[in-house]
Amino acid sequence: MKTTLLLATLVAGSAAAAPTVTRLTPPSELFASGRADPVIARFLPGQRFDLQATVKPDAGQKITAARFFIDGKPVNATVALRDCASGCTKGLAAETAIATVRTVSSEVAGKHELSVEATQADGQKVTARGNFEVVPFTAAMGPKVKNIIILLGDGMGASQRTAARIVHGYAQGKALQPLAMDSFTATALVKTSSLNSIVTDSAPGMTSYVSGNKNNNNEEGVFPDDTVDAFDNPRIEYLSEYLHRTQGKQLGVVTTADVFDATPAGNAVHTSNRGAGTGIVDQFFDDRGNTGLTVLMGGGRKWFLPAGTAGSARTDTSDYAFSATDAHTAEITRRWGAAAGSLDKGRDLIKEFQSAGFSYAATKTDLDKADAARPLLGLFAFSNMNVALDKINGRRGVEKNGTGGGSVVEDFGLPDQPMLDEMAAKAIGVLKRSPKGFVLMIEGASIDKQAHLMDTERWLLETLEFDRAVRVAQDFAAEQGDTLVIVTADHECSGAALIGGSMVTDKALAELATKKGVANLRNSVVGVYEKAGFPRYKIAADGYPETTDIDYRLLVGYGANADRYEDWRTKKTPQRDVQQPFGSEAPLKWYPANAQERDDALGDYLVTGQVPGEQAVHTATDVPLSAYGPGALAFTGVIDNTDVFFKLAQAAVRGVVAPADTSGSKKPPKPKH
Amino acid sequence: MRSLPPPFRLLLAGALSLLPPAVLAAPPAELSFSDFFAQPIGPRGLEPTAKLKAAEGREVRLVGYMVLREQPQAGRFFLAPRPVAMAEHADGEADDLPVSTVTVLLPESQRARFVAHQGGPLALTGRLEFGPAEDETGRVSWIRLHLAPEALAASASAAAPHSH
Repeated sequence: MKTTLLLATLVAGSAAAAPTVTRLTPPSELFASGRADPVIARFLPGQRFDLQATVKPDAGQKITAARFFIDGKPVNATVALRDCASGCTKGLAAETAIATVRTVSSEVAGKHELSVEATQADGQKVTARGNFEVVPFTAAMGPKVKNIIILLGDGMGASQRTAARIVHGYAQGKALQPLAMDSFTATALVKTSSLNSIVTDSAPGMTSYVSGNKNNNNEEGVFPDDTVDAFDNPRIEYLSEYLHRTQGKQLGVVTTADVFDATPAGNAVHTSNRGAGTGIVDQFFDDRGNTGLTVLMGGGRKWFLPAGTAGSARTDTSDYAFSATDAHTAEITRRWGAAAGSLDKGRDLIKEFQSAGFSYAATKTDLDKADAARPLLGLFAFSNMNVALDKINGRRGVEKNGTGGGSVVEDFGLPDQPMLDEMAAKAIGVLKRSPKGFVLMIEGASIDKQAHLMDTERWLLETLEFDRAVRVAQDFAAEQGDTLVIVTADHECSGAALIGGSMVTDKALAELATKKGVANLRNSVVGVYEKAGFPRYKIAADGYPETTDIDYRLLVGYGANADRYEDWRTKKTPQRDVQQPFGSEAPLKWYPANAQERDDALGDYLVTGQVPGEQAVHTATDVPLSAYGPGALAFTGVIDNTDVFFKLAQAAVRGVVAPADTSGSKKPPKPKH
Repeated sequence: MRSLPPPFRLLLAGALSLLPPAVLAAPPAELSFSDFFAQPIGPRGLEPTAKLKAAEGREVRLVGYMVLREQPQAGRFFLAPRPVAMAEHADGEADDLPVSTVTVLLPESQRARFVAHQGGPLALTGRLEFGPAEDETGRVSWIRLHLAPEALAASASAAAPHSH
């Protein structure tokens, strides 16, 4: 019937213009290309999501009504209808209409047809159809898991994992001490593409795991739309929200990045602009009643300080405020139970967290003292925390690379920052008191950030730090027996490749760097195949290498690299740079037409990159995912990132569908540390 | 701040002639990044030091490192106490900039121009401004250094840098 209607409209359209549906959300191939498969949008039974259609009327006309149908039955909810007189993306005519229904869900398993019917002022109608799927829970073979821990090594592909293991040492081809993540009982390979690219960024990379749906790059917990408002997009209920609403589980978010960054926010915040810092941190707090947010830790204090306080980054332009009268956003407040927000850059968010009963930790010392019986906010830096290599050097009192003769962390004015495993242990200590269980996301953020910078030693230590947090989570899960742990990445970063080992001592390497050039720094250094041997790092009592500048070191190349200078040695800047003459004797230069004019490396060995710009980029390569705990063996094969969401929810809502390991045991094996 | 190596020379000698006589009388104040805020940083915001407040609106000389940006902005660059690189395309304002990072502003007439990244320490002289200011990208700076026209080379490439 609807097809007939549509065809009739199209035929009419060839004679005279006709209104057209230019977007139908949730996204589908049925709408985009007419193919029924693959189904793009999938939901759990009862999982909430918004419906939206963008409709372009004929010139001089307007859209007066819109109705949505699921499997031909009208959706019984308010349709918010707005035009594009203002606030829409460029190129949309002012009379373009956007029709939205908030918080729809279906309990009925299987594929569903979604359609919209819009009516123009002159009575002409247009319909369009798409589809979505409700993925049913299946019969369980074991009990439900109480807790879910997602360890997200940002940018951590197979190479980053392997590199960290190599630092632990090898003997005659065998690993001396596997990583904690190596001892997980099941592993899958994950496809990471986002809704709009083979190469995802961290926003959809995270949200796919915790919403079951593909988002556009830069977008978190929402489907794309045609408005410029970063907070009004059609939403998708997160795992945290679904499990808080249906089971009362609490949420913990722990990262080494700024807490507004895409990965942490992609567990609790709904926005199409991952950069909208003020609104993002406000939503963490204001909508904690929806997400169960109980622990939030990382950097990013700049977003929590009122705009008048030195160091604050709060602005009204990165905030949001929903209209109470325009149904387009008022329905978000009404139907989702979400805060309306307000443009309040002067807000003191630390104080508000404290007033709401949260402990506040600004240092590791504070963290250690924090009462595990209370929810916890930890803000250990103004943006990203310092990286493991610099934090460890600060603790050891060695490698004083600071400008003031002290450590790097002293340079930053933040000498007492916790390591990720310490944050993870505290987070678990708080969350394990949740009677209904918890969802905890722990991110090793700067594996990615340092890979972007092609700073090999820094991402290496980030991965080691992250693995120590993995161990904390695994030990908890081993003890509890009711906690499912996954460790994975949102995407790979930099196309890192472990190309071999140095053929020379560190002293010789430093000398070759002074002789400069490709003949010295590449041909004399890079040992491939058996010339790589087994690099031997010495692990200190704190769990990190005594030094990364060992003789015959591991060498890493980059396949997604920008132009870079390479001397293979740990970046000790600024000491190294200080040896250069001042760059400012001559006046500052304008930006050169030729990017090759960069001058930073003493070694003068330029590796030409495949990507433009200054930084390495994310790659589309699959990433490994390892699972531990009840039901771990459900995580095998080559799976889509969105599949992970349904497996986690199955384990938490209905019960596990696979054993914990290949022995068939329902309980995970004790880790051998 | 450690003592400076011999090749160091004041960058903006020529700029002084533009200054009003009262300012001309006083040489630029030597400031270092560690002079800006009380360290270590306390549990909440930054505490500007008396030295920073005294330098407000005055000509100062700063030695720092030009931040390597992935997406440079016209008319401005960041100067940090140590070399820092940014990956804005992927990370936006989730960055590794120290809180004392200074936004260096080119003279009004040159705000459309890009300054090339330069490795190694840079000595810059300009008028120091303290207080929050939001730029067109929404980023808030707290300390800004206004350069005089002579800070910049006359010969220039018209080419903008790569951007994604």
